[in-house]
Amino acid sequence: MKHKQRMAMCIGLALAMLPAAGLQAAPARADYKKLEKKYEALQAQMATMARQMTAMQKQMTEVKKEAVAKATMSEKATKAEFRRLYKKVMAASQRISELEPGNIQVLIDGDVNFQFIHKSGSASTFYADASPLIQVRVDKHIFINAGFDFYTQSGAAGGAQADMGAANINYELNNYMTIGGGLVSSPIGGIVGIYNPAPWNRWLVDGSLEDNLLPPNELGVWTRGGVPAPNNLGYFTYFLFVSNGPALASTAGSPYNTLTYGNWNPAAQNGKTVGGRVSYLPIPNVEVGYSFEYARPSADGAIRTSNSMVQAVDFNTYYVNKKIDGLVRFRGGWAWDQVGQGVIPGTTTFAFGNMSDGGQIEAAYQPSMCGIKYLDRMMAALRYDYIDGPATSGFPTPGHEQRWSVGLDYWLHSNAVLKFEYEFDNLSNAQHGNDAMFVQFAVGI
Amino acid sequence: MNASQYNRGIRKVIIAGAAALGIVVMAGCAGTPTTKSAAVTKKPAGVWPLAIQDPAAHESGAQIWSENCMRCHQLRSPAQYTPAQWGIIVQYMRLKAGLTGEQAKKVLAFLKSASAHQD
Repeated sequence: MKHKQRMAMCIGLALAMLPAAGLQAAPARADYKKLEKKYEALQAQMATMARQMTAMQKQMTEVKKEAVAKATMSEKATKAEFRRLYKKVMAASQRISELEPGNIQVLIDGDVNFQFIHKSGSASTFYADASPLIQVRVDKHIFINAGFDFYTQSGAAGGAQADMGAANINYELNNYMTIGGGLVSSPIGGIVGIYNPAPWNRWLVDGSLEDNLLPPNELGVWTRGGVPAPNNLGYFTYFLFVSNGPALASTAGSPYNTLTYGNWNPAAQNGKTVGGRVSYLPIPNVEVGYSFEYARPSADGAIRTSNSMVQAVDFNTYYVNKKIDGLVRFRGGWAWDQVGQGVIPGTTTFAFGNMSDGGQIEAAYQPSMCGIKYLDRMMAALRYDYIDGPATSGFPTPGHEQRWSVGLDYWLHSNAVLKFEYEFDNLSNAQHGNDAMFVQFAVGI
Repeated sequence: MNASQYNRGIRKVIIAGAAALGIVVMAGCAGTPTTKSAAVTKKPAGVWPLAIQDPAAHESGAQIWSENCMRCHQLRSPAQYTPAQWGIIVQYMRLKAGLTGEQAKKVLAFLKSASAHQD
């Protein structure tokens, strides 16, 4: 009994002390469920926030990209604007400079030469020639060129003579092309119009026989220029034209069959000619060219049933090396004149239907690096030239003519030369031709 | 050869010439000078005319002058003419020698500079 009473007292005491000890009663299951739900809600909220963060980061990246793109575009726009402005300023500057006095530049150059000619069968004579060239640079695109030739002519009807060699306007269309019109040196054959434009620049005094087959100039329109070959495989030059055509010689005393170039005969000019020259330079010091001129010449307007085709090939090369103590040059060319059939005026006889051809090869050597005074200014030149005309034409003499020429030049200056030449002439219808000797002093201005 | 044959012949020549001219004009427009030369240089060798490269892109003015002028005549000293006179002469010689506009520019720059130095 005593034990039971003691137990009841302890329990009562303990229960009385519980609130004093601050202890609470154990949580109810409902509370636990509530807490669990709260935890789950928080977890869901966190997941949502994480998704939002990812989306925001993505958005930020896109905004950044957009900003960079906008900045680049702005930079590009600025550059374009700058280029536009630069062009505008340059154009204005160009215009201003064009308005300044003295912007049109004029240069008078050309050449003068005199020579002594002694030809067997003819009287010896002195000869003089002055060829001024007026060049005008109107602007960076337009260029004008006018050339004249004043010379003496011996003989009973001799005296001072004048001729016009050039009167042309050229416009530089682009990097590779210039167009022009007027009177210009003919490119056919290359030799006359390109390599040998002036007496001071010829290695020998006398012209080649091939020159007789080639037109000296063209009166018309043209395009010319240079175009690099693909893949750096050299370089092309071209010169294509439409011009007044040649005439057929038909006057009394003149042989039929031959073409005369002069561009002045209106009756012959109804038949225009198409022609040109194209050359290829695998390296700058080697050039090979082909040229042609296709026309339908008339003989003083009397007949127009014939056609003509002139074709020519040419080459030009030089080599400079210490091993040969200087400079060696080679040039050459061959031309063919083919004239179709026609009818002699006032007859029913067919004429023409023939071919003339001729050419030359020349070589020169200058020991410019030998180091010996005077010798380094000398140039030795050698040429073989040939022409074969129709037997009835007398062009320049019936049959063919061939010559060997030797020359010795002394270059006082790069544009002043004293020349001596001797020409051995052979004609097919004679034992011996008209050998000739020339002495010339020529200066290019 | 009768008149119609002649006309056909001359027509062929004109058509061939026109085609060649068209190609040159296209090449000229595609490779317009000056500022585009660097871009043209970068293009790989490919289909013509895109692979065209102006020789001026890799040659100096002095080199173009000596190699091209000497082809036809003795080299003239740059001191023989003033820079302004060289401007006229180079424009003329560009036609004679068939130089591109870029080549002529480089030659002129060289001659003007050399001429001025020797004054």
